[in-house]
Amino acid sequence: MSAVEAAPRVDSRGNRGSAAWMVVPALVLLIGFFALPYLTIITMSLREASTRAVYGDGFTLAHYTTALGDFYIWGILGRTLLIGATVTVISLLLGYPVAYHLAKSRSRWTSLLYIFVLSPLLVGLVVRTFAWMIILSNNGVANQALKAAGLIDFPLQLMNNSLGVTIALTHVFLPFIILPLLGNLQAISPDLAMASRSLGASRMRTFWKVTLPLSMPGIQAGTILVFVLSISAYVTPAMLGGTGGRTMSVLVVQYLVDNFRWPAGAALAIIMAAVAVIFVGLYLRLTARAMRRLP
Amino acid sequence: MKLTRREFAVGMTTAIASMTLPRLAAAQSPLVVPTYGGLWAKFWEEKLLPGLTAATGIQPQLDVGLGKDFVAKIRAGGGRSPYSIFMGNENIAAVLRAEGFFEPFDLAKVPNAAKTFPQFVNKDAKGIRAIVSPIGLAYRTDLVKTAPTSWHDLWDNPEFKGKTGLYQIGNTGAVLFLRLVAELFGSGPDDFDTAFAKIKELLPFTQASWSGEVATALIRGDAIIAPVDWTEIMTLQDKGAPVAIVAPKEGVLAFEQSFNLVATGAEKDAAHAYLNYILDAKVQQDMAKAFYTSPSNSESSVDDAMKARTPIVGPRMAEIKSYDWDSYVDKAADIADRWNREMA
Repeated sequence: MSAVEAAPRVDSRGNRGSAAWMVVPALVLLIGFFALPYLTIITMSLREASTRAVYGDGFTLAHYTTALGDFYIWGILGRTLLIGATVTVISLLLGYPVAYHLAKSRSRWTSLLYIFVLSPLLVGLVVRTFAWMIILSNNGVANQALKAAGLIDFPLQLMNNSLGVTIALTHVFLPFIILPLLGNLQAISPDLAMASRSLGASRMRTFWKVTLPLSMPGIQAGTILVFVLSISAYVTPAMLGGTGGRTMSVLVVQYLVDNFRWPAGAALAIIMAAVAVIFVGLYLRLTARAMRRLP
Repeated sequence: MKLTRREFAVGMTTAIASMTLPRLAAAQSPLVVPTYGGLWAKFWEEKLLPGLTAATGIQPQLDVGLGKDFVAKIRAGGGRSPYSIFMGNENIAAVLRAEGFFEPFDLAKVPNAAKTFPQFVNKDAKGIRAIVSPIGLAYRTDLVKTAPTSWHDLWDNPEFKGKTGLYQIGNTGAVLFLRLVAELFGSGPDDFDTAFAKIKELLPFTQASWSGEVATALIRGDAIIAPVDWTEIMTLQDKGAPVAIVAPKEGVLAFEQSFNLVATGAEKDAAHAYLNYILDAKVQQDMAKAFYTSPSNSESSVDDAMKARTPIVGPRMAEIKSYDWDSYVDKAADIADRWNREMA
């Protein structure tokens, strides 16, 4: 190492390694906001249950074995993942054309479109969900409109089930897929599409063979974001899910807050987190493999 | 990695300060008073706390949240609770009591307890149910032909089939209803098998997490009848909604706000003074006017206008069904779990 390279690492007293301090904030953040909370939850999940104390004296795996052997909890877990996957797919199908249009648009109204895209995030979550209750309830706007049009005689069950949760979550999380996609699509050089067209490819073929493959990183980032946010959402499933659309987050909160069962609730939270990590890991592997195969 | 003396001194000072300052802050902290949001927080901020300060010199700090949030904070506080006094529904207070977080009040320091209707003072002063919000049967006046008079009407009146609203089990209202149904149809308030069987007969019903959601279901017409507290229905009536509420002939339920002395709290004398102020006849009367509770002080003045809107006052407070929650604590989690699985 030359004297010039070494210079910033040596202070006026000749002490090396001051630069190592720069790692400290990140380390503190990781330990304080990630490692310690997880460690606390894992420890809590291994505590024995008690109705005469916050938790019992000993340690046990019973909360995990009980939960994993319970079909009711498996059912809720499956429903949560299904809602997450459905919201992700619908968000992608709705969000991609919007992101594509915004990326290509040269209109002076583009900024207005940005505001429309971000609009779901500009209203409080509870207010937004309450609005969906007014729309989706048995006597809500949607059912009234369908009745007035003569399409139904009896109200459709649009909330207190997975359908209501899926609709509202799609609305809430749409911007989270549009924004990463938009950044990705804007970064793709227009020359590539032009080259494809000049070589005789149709617009559709150019999209399928050039634009879509190149936007895979944006699709990957956006879909992971929406999936993870959907399966961990609490307010919307709690307000719109009822008993028929109960998700793992709602169940965990019920255990922790309503029933004061901290150890069992912590075990459910860890199971949920583990399942999310497995699914995201698998998805990352699959999409990474697909991206490697791209031309 | 080597530390200079200056870096070491700064680091140590920061570490010591971060460990010491919370202790100093805790030592100097005033009485922290928990209450609920909405009308409650407004009343506490505008009337109750200024009144308390004027009467006692205590300058409390308000903490707005839900009873279950207060439970979590006391549990997480371990040996140093952020509160010296707890307020929450009696069934929730019973959980913390069972876990040893509370100690009895010294009633000599709470003279107004002697004027409180005796049914609201727990045995051995282990909690006082100081604020009472009765729960009756609320219904849509424009959609119901035969107004209810009995809890049995929920089962017997065909108008209500599929049009009933109930609290979900996370709310005290559901637990109270469960015990009422056990008492009405079974061998007593602990006959949960009978209660579950009878409530299942009401399916499908709308389930709501809190009173505001029950009110919304009534306004939307998703439910045309529901057990709900007077506070909610009087507030809806004030806004012109076509709703009414009756006291069924078998008696009413009530959200009973249980005040408890936290064993690990630092401001116990102030906590006693605060509870005494809450129990004051005039304060109870003001609360009833502000959000339609029923005064728990037997000396509170109740005029005809108040009686017309909130009839469960004075001698009629005896119609409130109060349950013992000590033994329920051991079953609460299983019952909640059972409700979630069966009431879908």
